[in-house]
Amino acid sequence: MNMVRLDKQNLDNFIRELSAEYSVYAPGNTGGKTEFIPVESGDEIDFSRTVTDMSPKGIFFPPAEVLFEYDKDGVRAAQTSHRPIAVFGMRSCDARSLVMLDRVFGSAIQMPDDEKFQDPYWKEKYDSSLIFGFACNEPLSTCFCNWFSGGPYNRDGMDVSVVDAGDVYLMEPVSDKGIEIISKLSCLTDASEEDKALLEKMASDAESMMTAPLDVEGLGERLTALFDESIWDEISAKCVNCGACTFSCPTCHCFDMQDEGKGEKGKRVRIWDSCMLPIFTMEASGHNPRALSRDRVRQRVMHKYSYYPENYGEILCTGCGRCVMVCPVNLDIREVLKKFIAYNEQGK
Amino acid sequence: MKMINPDDLSKAIKELLTEKKIDLFIGWEKGSLPLSATPLFITSEDEAERAVFDITCGNNLSIYFTKDRKQFADKKVGIAVKGCDARSVVLNTLEKQIDRANVVMVGVPCHGVLDKKKVLAKTDGREVLELIDNGDTVTLIGKGYELSIDRSEILSSSCLACIYPDAQECDIFIGDARAEVPNENRLKEIKEFEALSTEERWANTCAEYEKCIRCYACRNVCPSCYCNVCFVDQNDPGWIGNTCEFTDSMIFHVIRNLHVAGRCVECGACERACPMDINLLLLNRKVAMEVKDRFGDIAGLDINGKPAMVDFKEDEKQDFIMG
Repeated sequence: MNMVRLDKQNLDNFIRELSAEYSVYAPGNTGGKTEFIPVESGDEIDFSRTVTDMSPKGIFFPPAEVLFEYDKDGVRAAQTSHRPIAVFGMRSCDARSLVMLDRVFGSAIQMPDDEKFQDPYWKEKYDSSLIFGFACNEPLSTCFCNWFSGGPYNRDGMDVSVVDAGDVYLMEPVSDKGIEIISKLSCLTDASEEDKALLEKMASDAESMMTAPLDVEGLGERLTALFDESIWDEISAKCVNCGACTFSCPTCHCFDMQDEGKGEKGKRVRIWDSCMLPIFTMEASGHNPRALSRDRVRQRVMHKYSYYPENYGEILCTGCGRCVMVCPVNLDIREVLKKFIAYNEQGK
Repeated sequence: MKMINPDDLSKAIKELLTEKKIDLFIGWEKGSLPLSATPLFITSEDEAERAVFDITCGNNLSIYFTKDRKQFADKKVGIAVKGCDARSVVLNTLEKQIDRANVVMVGVPCHGVLDKKKVLAKTDGREVLELIDNGDTVTLIGKGYELSIDRSEILSSSCLACIYPDAQECDIFIGDARAEVPNENRLKEIKEFEALSTEERWANTCAEYEKCIRCYACRNVCPSCYCNVCFVDQNDPGWIGNTCEFTDSMIFHVIRNLHVAGRCVECGACERACPMDINLLLLNRKVAMEVKDRFGDIAGLDINGKPAMVDFKEDEKQDFIMG
């Protein structure tokens, strides 16, 4: 299907039309911070920040999600909304993060059926969702999506690609779901040949704004080889082990489950957890296998750049740069990875 | 405004290392982002060259004494301190977390550190690619803009209310240390908060704590928060719920607030670390003011004193007990 255009003054109509069938999420401003919020009109959308402060993972993997409720009469599944979700304005890095999370929660990778783990809470929301991606015309200095086969105009994980081209949004369907929705919405018009040429130029301009990527080929193996080296002490020295990086990260997905009960009833809640916190690995005996800061920093780096790629064939980082921006001690993951690669090249 | 000459700081660190007075020096160096310096652990003269101190050095470095259960217990450690950081070292000394004899405190003349959210408000959210600290003014440079703004407009709220910008306790000071500096804005923010009605105060407090994502950056950058096991890191019993529901977050912040009563040095590191821009310092400063009012104590000011919460004076106010 061909490219279509949406006049910006029609954005409100577009969102309203989409809202008839979908719960629509888009970047919004909440108390000075930008994050993905439910919207019903175009006015509520805030595109002022290239990367939203909080990642969109919470739409599909909420910070606290009730799995079921219980009382003395039994267990009941949690109440869920069955309206499908549409997200408008998701950057390339974030759209890719959903593909990565889907391998874990939705088992998108090929595995024998009996080994397939599928998380119904994730699948219910993600499988029926519609992702309107949003290309980056002005990547930030903290963006490093191009290190991991991403890019400002990458379309992985999108159903429809959207490009801000001045007075209009240029849209192109990426998936079958995208083709279907584009054909249904009334406020879109066909794009011209000039539009297509413009989009190509904008894409190459954006790519050229990115700084040269680090060569991460073989990074996982290098990290594994350096597992017991003292470089981890050096890397982790300044880390204070808060969870700002993990909670702002679009791909960190570790969780804890807790029962919140009172009297004869209660509920089981799934809550975001963080490998940075000491309780993450605290055992019932009181022993903690990751007692030191170094152990926890190493776990986070290994999970992203070694364990996950070993399991799923791709690094668990989209280079969105949020961890770089929020770290209270400026422990920059880009510098960390550079150090590891340099360390290995010295033959140590 | 007399700014530090970074060469003087590097020189002092080098001397300490060559004279074997310290094994390690904790300072700041230029960070990977223009608005953030980053902690630097110096063991060689080369590394000492990298030490800086400017408006971006917001971290209170004394947190590293208690990290990983007193990791430097057997080392002689030098540390760069602003006025507030020096109070943390003193407080941790009084609380037996630091052996003062093993620490060389190097005071740096502080004119306040920046608050990133105030900077971004000045640039309308546009990314800052370069910051130049000129002293009275700060130049912010980004794609297609260059702004010169008054230093005071982007300072952390803790700095705007500060009366001890320079270390009152230290071994070496780079330049001339100022004693207590009068500040007419000392209690401004607190008095404004107190003037609100109960309903307004509650609404404001709720609005702030509702933003919390429970990442604990505030706790982890706080030199007064060093419990071996924090109450939120326990699950048997689980003292509080760990969701980002307002009630859970509120309890976390209120308990932390009370736990640092008489111990908060008002450095503002918590507020600067918060990724959600929660106004964390207001209640801490309000409690610090109460402690000063009732017990006459300012946390970490007197190396020969006793922290308010472990001291008792016959004449101290007891009306809260007597009713």
